Amino acid sequence: MNRREALKSVAFLMGSAISSTTIGVVFENFILPEKEKNFVSFSVSDEQILSEFAETIIPTTASSGGAKAAGLGAFIPMIIRDCYPANMQKLFAEGLKEMQIKCSKEFNKDYLSISKEERNQLMSSLRDDAIGTNKAPSFFLIARDLTILGYYTSEIGCTQAREYLPVPGRYDGEAPYIKGQKAWATN
Amino acid sequence: MNINTNLKAENTYDAIVIGSGISGGWAAKELTEKGLKVLMLERGMNIEHIKDYDSAMKAPWEFERAGKLTTEQKSTHPVQTRDYPYNEATEKWWVNDIDCPYTEDKRFDWYRGFHVGGKSLMWGRQSYRFSDHNFEDNAKDGYGNDWPIRYKDITKWYDYVEKFAGISGQAENWPLLPDGKFLPPMDLNCVEKSVKERLEKHYNKTRILTIGRTANLTVPHKGRGSCQYRNLCSRGCPFGAYFSTQSSTLPAAMATNRLTVRPYSIVNHIIYDKDTKKAKGVMVIDAETNETMEFYAKIVFVNGSTLGSTFILLNSTSEAHPNGLGNASGQLGHNLMDHHFRVGAEGSAEGFEDKYTYGRRANGIYIPRYQNMGNDKRDYLRGFGYQGGASRGSWHKEVAELAFGENFKNTMSLPADSWSMGLGGFGEMLPYYENKVYINHDKKDKWGQSVLAIDCEYKENEAKMREDMMNDAAEMLEASGIKNVQPYDNDCYPGMAIHEMGTARMGNDPKESVLNKWNQMHEVSNVFVTDGACMTSAACQNPSLTYMALTARACDYAVKELKKGNL
Repeated sequence: MNRREALKSVAFLMGSAISSTTIGVVFENFILPEKEKNFVSFSVSDEQILSEFAETIIPTTASSGGAKAAGLGAFIPMIIRDCYPANMQKLFAEGLKEMQIKCSKEFNKDYLSISKEERNQLMSSLRDDAIGTNKAPSFFLIARDLTILGYYTSEIGCTQAREYLPVPGRYDGEAPYIKGQKAWATN
Repeated sequence: MNINTNLKAENTYDAIVIGSGISGGWAAKELTEKGLKVLMLERGMNIEHIKDYDSAMKAPWEFERAGKLTTEQKSTHPVQTRDYPYNEATEKWWVNDIDCPYTEDKRFDWYRGFHVGGKSLMWGRQSYRFSDHNFEDNAKDGYGNDWPIRYKDITKWYDYVEKFAGISGQAENWPLLPDGKFLPPMDLNCVEKSVKERLEKHYNKTRILTIGRTANLTVPHKGRGSCQYRNLCSRGCPFGAYFSTQSSTLPAAMATNRLTVRPYSIVNHIIYDKDTKKAKGVMVIDAETNETMEFYAKIVFVNGSTLGSTFILLNSTSEAHPNGLGNASGQLGHNLMDHHFRVGAEGSAEGFEDKYTYGRRANGIYIPRYQNMGNDKRDYLRGFGYQGGASRGSWHKEVAELAFGENFKNTMSLPADSWSMGLGGFGEMLPYYENKVYINHDKKDKWGQSVLAIDCEYKENEAKMREDMMNDAAEMLEASGIKNVQPYDNDCYPGMAIHEMGTARMGNDPKESVLNKWNQMHEVSNVFVTDGACMTSAACQNPSLTYMALTARACDYAVKELKKGNL
């Protein structure tokens, strides 16, 4: 195989990977029939569970509040209902239930009662499942994507975890970077 | 008393301009400044400069859905959602595909914005001149008909529009990309500078890299503010720092007190007068009330966007013009072109970990076409240029797969360890007669009008070119010291580049073309088409600057002819 052919076959493999390097773009272009809108609903306790789940992905740290403070408990179900097609809403809602069942089985407690360590343990196991299924759409993947999206577009994420510069006024393409300096909130 | 006469007088202007986007705005400015009383018709809503840029000053957290679209929005905009431009921050600009349908014999993504300002509010702002290579390619290789103009015919009009619009860029003396009247260029960042140096050295300056030439102001210009480096142009600029109808041509036209703008005015057809053999006006449907009305003028400028304009012409049938206005050549609706892109390569730049960017530059780099020129010969016709750039993003490929927790958050809150650099090709598409649009009478829009059918595809020349667009990019990045170079081809369908061109081409021979060298219809002397529809070939440069120059030139000619009594 000559170099050009080799490049071509790499491109064939990489094409989709390159276009989806950013988070949460799966299912972006589903069109859904009128009757299938807002398929699932979420209870207050669902929101509490999602809030803690998101907090496990992006916790509060010394520098900044985490996903819970950023309001992800309400953000995630809102996006699921408003932006996801019915079949994905269903998959998400069922996955949320299964996660709770798994939690009860493993820890004999409901999700809101388990410790931070136990939540991390549960999350690791969901992550391993996701890798095992080659990232087939799942509750874990969607929740994680939406946590990252929601957190880094929230005021806390933009102004505490990262640095937000609304009107830079100028461009410097070789500004010094001081180790530890936060990333800009927007590109 | 004759009410009709009064109404007719009231509805009579010197000139009618159909459309208010980049070329329509220029037509309105030029014609009013030359003393004509002008009616500018826009099919969509009014957008007032600054005031109506609803999302322009919003912080990321002030959006309800972090930029995402609802399923409702997706269902009313099935075409506009096929690619990136339509999102929560820009949703106002993109057309409702259900109200305004079209049909596709083959997939064609038609991105449209119906409002005062048209796509001048959403455009990419890259502004490049065509060169004589571009004006001569059709004649040399036989695809399409010969352009009726050469670079010397349009040079002073490029100068003229650039000086008014404000184009920033760097002069390079490159044969395929003539220099313009530039405002100071934006800066390359440190990685781009390094790539430029190594690339130009490696290819011994047979290929060059320059900063994008963009209609963003790098210094205050004609009362407009300079770019604030927010990179939020797509929402409308509250500083007026990029060229749009609202920031530039509309205020100039309004200042003459000779312009009337009428939003919600869908031009259904141009009214042809068989006695004078001229257009006498247009028939309009009010988009809000469905009422129909007529407006009259001595000249009509058609600037409704490439396919919008051609729809109106095809829909303007009469006994004398049974196949559409000025279509004796049979070329109206044919030779549809777009660019093809979404192919190139990217990789990472190492050794710049101590550098970062300040500010967000809404511009990238440009590598002008170098193929099929001089000693560079390819196994396809024409060529391509590259747009791209380097950035230090926040995506960390070193993060473990599907990571979470405190370390993950801490890493994600820092910039990436390395910079990335990408090159994406923009290739020329040949004009093919069989790539066409026509009116589909079986389907109707919200106002009961028949719709446009589009039958267009890329062919072998474009497919061959794409291989080079990908491989050349990878080779250049590697030659420039970029690591982990990954070529990609993300596939492209006509329409995606939003550079649709042709379908009412210019030419010297009335048997072969719709418009003459002044963008004037061969057969209907008081009708001018100066948007993308007029294009005889596509070149590989972004075309809007050429529409501006052709429009200003055509307006100059039209008014002179009008004064001589020839129109």
